Amino acid sequence: MYLRTLTLATALACSLFAAPTLAAVAIGNAAPDFSLTDSNGKTQTLSQYKGKTVVLEWNNPGCPFVHKHYESGNIPRQQADATAAGVVWLTLNSGATGKQGHLDGAGANAFIAQYHASPTAYLIDGEGKVGRLYGARTTPHMFVIDAGGTLRYMGGIDSIASTDQDDLARATQYVPQALAELKAGKSVSVTTSEPYGCGIKYGS
Amino acid sequence: MRILQTTSLLLLATVSAALHAAPVASDHVTVELISENTALIPGRTAWLGLRLQHAPQWHTYWINPGDSGLPTRLTWTLPSGFTAGDIDWPAPRRFKIDELYNFGYAGDVLLPVPIDVPAHAVPGATVHLAVQAKWLVCHEECIPGKASLALNLPVAATAASNARAQVLFAAARAAQAQVSPSQAQARLLGDRVEVIVEGAHLAQTATLDAFAVQTKVVANAPPTVVIRDGSSVLTFAKSDYFTSIPDRFDLLLRDDNAHASLLHAHFAGVATATDPATRP
Repeated sequence: MYLRTLTLATALACSLFAAPTLAAVAIGNAAPDFSLTDSNGKTQTLSQYKGKTVVLEWNNPGCPFVHKHYESGNIPRQQADATAAGVVWLTLNSGATGKQGHLDGAGANAFIAQYHASPTAYLIDGEGKVGRLYGARTTPHMFVIDAGGTLRYMGGIDSIASTDQDDLARATQYVPQALAELKAGKSVSVTTSEPYGCGIKYGS
Repeated sequence: MRILQTTSLLLLATVSAALHAAPVASDHVTVELISENTALIPGRTAWLGLRLQHAPQWHTYWINPGDSGLPTRLTWTLPSGFTAGDIDWPAPRRFKIDELYNFGYAGDVLLPVPIDVPAHAVPGATVHLAVQAKWLVCHEECIPGKASLALNLPVAATAASNARAQVLFAAARAAQAQVSPSQAQARLLGDRVEVIVEGAHLAQTATLDAFAVQTKVVANAPPTVVIRDGSSVLTFAKSDYFTSIPDRFDLLLRDDNAHASLLHAHFAGVATATDPATRP
């Protein structure tokens, strides 16, 4: 009887964890490759940028947390600094078609223009496959991949979870910090932080 | 641009000598500051509460909001000698949105806060207690809100209960987790975190749910609960953001009758804390 309970319990636990809802990537592991169409209709893959440091930023234009970091100029400034230093910055939108926050290519380009943003590309992930592949759950949600394709940072945009622009001055910006450390040949000091923001509106 | 309008809108409630400030209607939630009693007694703890009345389908967040969101925050401005404690959070509900999990409140909820009244408060005086509340209210979209609320309360040797507040405070206390006397041990098992709670009672509960008070320990999906060697074993997926053994790991357990208990789990690999679990 005891054995049966235990076996059942193990089977139950296995079945639950064998079918995770969101996949996960891990620091120090290879960042999985993907292929998506960008806002200009061009195919973008992660592997095409091998040899360069890549930042992934999850975006939803209607999210107040995203608004905080765009309206203040924080994310556009980070994009400009990073791309000027040769870093590839990919903004992704995993909002399902028809759900709040989803953008088509034209909408994405209008968003970029509105905030004078300068990502290398804005990728449309309406089926949520790359978002789920990376375990992206909030907007913003940030990932830094080094030139060798290894994941070096994942988590929040900064250290103060809020929608208030007033908090930016006191917050540690994790992506520029990681990029500077990678550039200096150092190890990344903060490799993860709890992501904060709006939940990504995945389709079913 | 709705967000622009919302964030720039500072709602200021009318200050009045009343036991509850006028409710402030914001986007999808109405907030109100309420006193449990009619007066403040020198040297005693008084209770105030932020009442949040959510529009149908909208919710605000617990101290651990889950996969997204933000906890409601209160910043008090009090006269010298008065101090506000932390929110005494009622047990949260679980919201599943696609594959994401959030913890928080829908409907009508009161977040009680203890206010220590100094012994030197003078009976007959009127005291101004002000708070800025900030919250995030979400359904499909999320809207940040804030309101400045205040009460003017008399200091007196005795106080009567505020009839209107009684029901709300009673409901909030009934929804609060009681500290569990059960011993619990947590440990990492690969990509899982296992919590062993003495006694088989938990696994026999039909619809037990568990919420981690601290973030970055376990994923936010509900755990499996089974009986093993006469103990209840809760198994969670490890948080993707787990970096080290937490100094403290508290779980709020909630059964199908909305009865909630708070469990302090000793994490293997850490010196055993001897202090009793504190409320989230």
